[in-house]
Amino acid sequence: MIVRLAWRSIWRNKRRTLITMTSISLGLTIAIFFTALVEGVFRQVVNEAIRMQAGHITLENPEYQTSPAVDLRIGGVENLRRRIEGIEAVEQTKLLIWGQGVANSGAGGVGVMVMGVEPSVEMKTSPLAQDIVAGAYLADSDDRMVVLGGHLAEQLKLKLGSKIVLTTNNAQGQLVEELCRVKGIFRTGSDEIDGYLIQIPATFARRVFGLGDDEATQLGVILKRPGDQAVVIDAITPMVAGKDIAVLPWQSILPEVASFIRLRRTSNGVFQGLLFVIILFTILNTLLMSVIEREREFAVLLALGTPVRQLKGQLFVESACIACLGGLAGMVLGGSLALALQIWGLDLASIMPKGVTISGFAVSTTIHANLTPPILYWIGGIVLGATLLLSFMPMRRITQVHIAETLR
Amino acid sequence: MAKIVEVSSVAKDYGEGGIITHALRGVDLVLMAGEFTSMAGPSGSGKTTLLNIIGGLDRPSSGTVHIEGIEITQLPGTQLSRIRRDRIGFIFQSFNLIPVLTAFENAEYVLMLQNVDKEQRVERVMRVLREVGLEGLEHRFPRELSGGQQQRVAIARAIAPEPALVLADEPTANVDSETGRSLMELMRRLNEEKGITFLFSTHDRAVMERARRLIKLRDGQIIEDTEPRNL
Repeated sequence: MIVRLAWRSIWRNKRRTLITMTSISLGLTIAIFFTALVEGVFRQVVNEAIRMQAGHITLENPEYQTSPAVDLRIGGVENLRRRIEGIEAVEQTKLLIWGQGVANSGAGGVGVMVMGVEPSVEMKTSPLAQDIVAGAYLADSDDRMVVLGGHLAEQLKLKLGSKIVLTTNNAQGQLVEELCRVKGIFRTGSDEIDGYLIQIPATFARRVFGLGDDEATQLGVILKRPGDQAVVIDAITPMVAGKDIAVLPWQSILPEVASFIRLRRTSNGVFQGLLFVIILFTILNTLLMSVIEREREFAVLLALGTPVRQLKGQLFVESACIACLGGLAGMVLGGSLALALQIWGLDLASIMPKGVTISGFAVSTTIHANLTPPILYWIGGIVLGATLLLSFMPMRRITQVHIAETLR
Repeated sequence: MAKIVEVSSVAKDYGEGGIITHALRGVDLVLMAGEFTSMAGPSGSGKTTLLNIIGGLDRPSSGTVHIEGIEITQLPGTQLSRIRRDRIGFIFQSFNLIPVLTAFENAEYVLMLQNVDKEQRVERVMRVLREVGLEGLEHRFPRELSGGQQQRVAIARAIAPEPALVLADEPTANVDSETGRSLMELMRRLNEEKGITFLFSTHDRAVMERARRLIKLRDGQIIEDTEPRNL
């Protein structure tokens, strides 16, 4: 009887019920869509950053983060990467050799970050290898070849095949100068990367920086599913026990990216929270109105001997029906829009300038959403929970109904 | 015959501070099982207040009310609610049916509160709807019924739980005189055939004459308590 009364009561004023459900539904749609959109942007940035750099998990010298120097390297990397690649959740490992130096050409010298990479691995994993706009990317067999950013090439007036001299210090503290040739020029969209980064093959990098064949600055681990990060860290940690190697999540390697995402998530949460409060007021207003309008009816039901808790139950069911129907519609609509954006993406090239970066990493002008089940569960759950909590306020009014006065 | 209602020295005051309205001033009343009693009096004489207090919808400022020997004025809300559900039927001036329930469901409502099993409920509700002349209209919603038919549903709702007492506040006030007469005949017949005790308030002289006992109130006091033919 409670359910029958509640269900028929909510459809007594169809327009009001539909307006309330639409409010819930639209609020939820906006919340789900924008959360998935923002998460999609974050995922793209993180994905590009970790694939360009040292993966979801990075193995490096414990002191490297505080004072990055070429002599802070790790050894035994080939054995380690074989064992790590044996973990099911691991997609790929990659070696990186980092150093700083000066790139000189006939036009002058510029301070650069030199990144020694395994070209065949980078071709599979790094977006930078796909951003070549002139020439070609490195090959494993290349020696004394570099690829560099478009801005750097312009500054040093370099073309394909031009000579470039790298001056740096090796791990032994000696000054090293190496003559190389430009094999390719990339443009990632980030001024920082395009104006500062030079990539060279790892074998050449080891020679330049004086590292052994089994040594690297970082061993990066790329995961099949980013959510497995903690599990894989737990699996790797015993492998490096007793060695001078730290196993770090990408958030420690790229703290500025992680902080940016945290900050944006928080501000996004505050914005959505405010929107949500406005929607909740609409719902509360509707629920209160529906009780005030029916005070006489509640007085009659009480006069007939209906227990107060049963009337409260009826109101709770009414709120639950409205919240569930509105919430379901919002989840379907918001989820569908987000899913469409996830599959087909949205090209914002016409309204978004090229070169937008987050912490130095370029944001693609084609945005894909990232709709995950927790986004649906959490946002849907919060809306449902809050609406049900709100129903307690109109419930209180029932306890204040004075039967004789209301029926007079 | 058993006492169904015993009202002793009941007073009811409204208002606060300096302005106090004395709605009832020391009313004493006894209703025996099977009585068919009408209360009359001008507006503000205390008829509705007395019905509300007897029905446990309001509490007196002083005095006691016994329903079938149970003193109800000091009962907690839940127990009072149970007495209303099981022992008292209400018929209101403006019908007060639940608009989202059909005639059948309105009459069935209190039986559901009493946890009467479905088979019995259907049998009892169909019987009372037949008794009040609503056979064939049981699936209509209140908005699809005339005023007289709605009041018949209200009567069916009041008698379906087989209460000891039915309280009716101006039950014919919102219907035309012919419908009012037929409603009174219906209640009188139910009283005679089923022995249900009725107490109703009215302004209508024709209605008063259908009662077997007439109580007249003025200024919160019973000024006459007699059979109508002695008026």
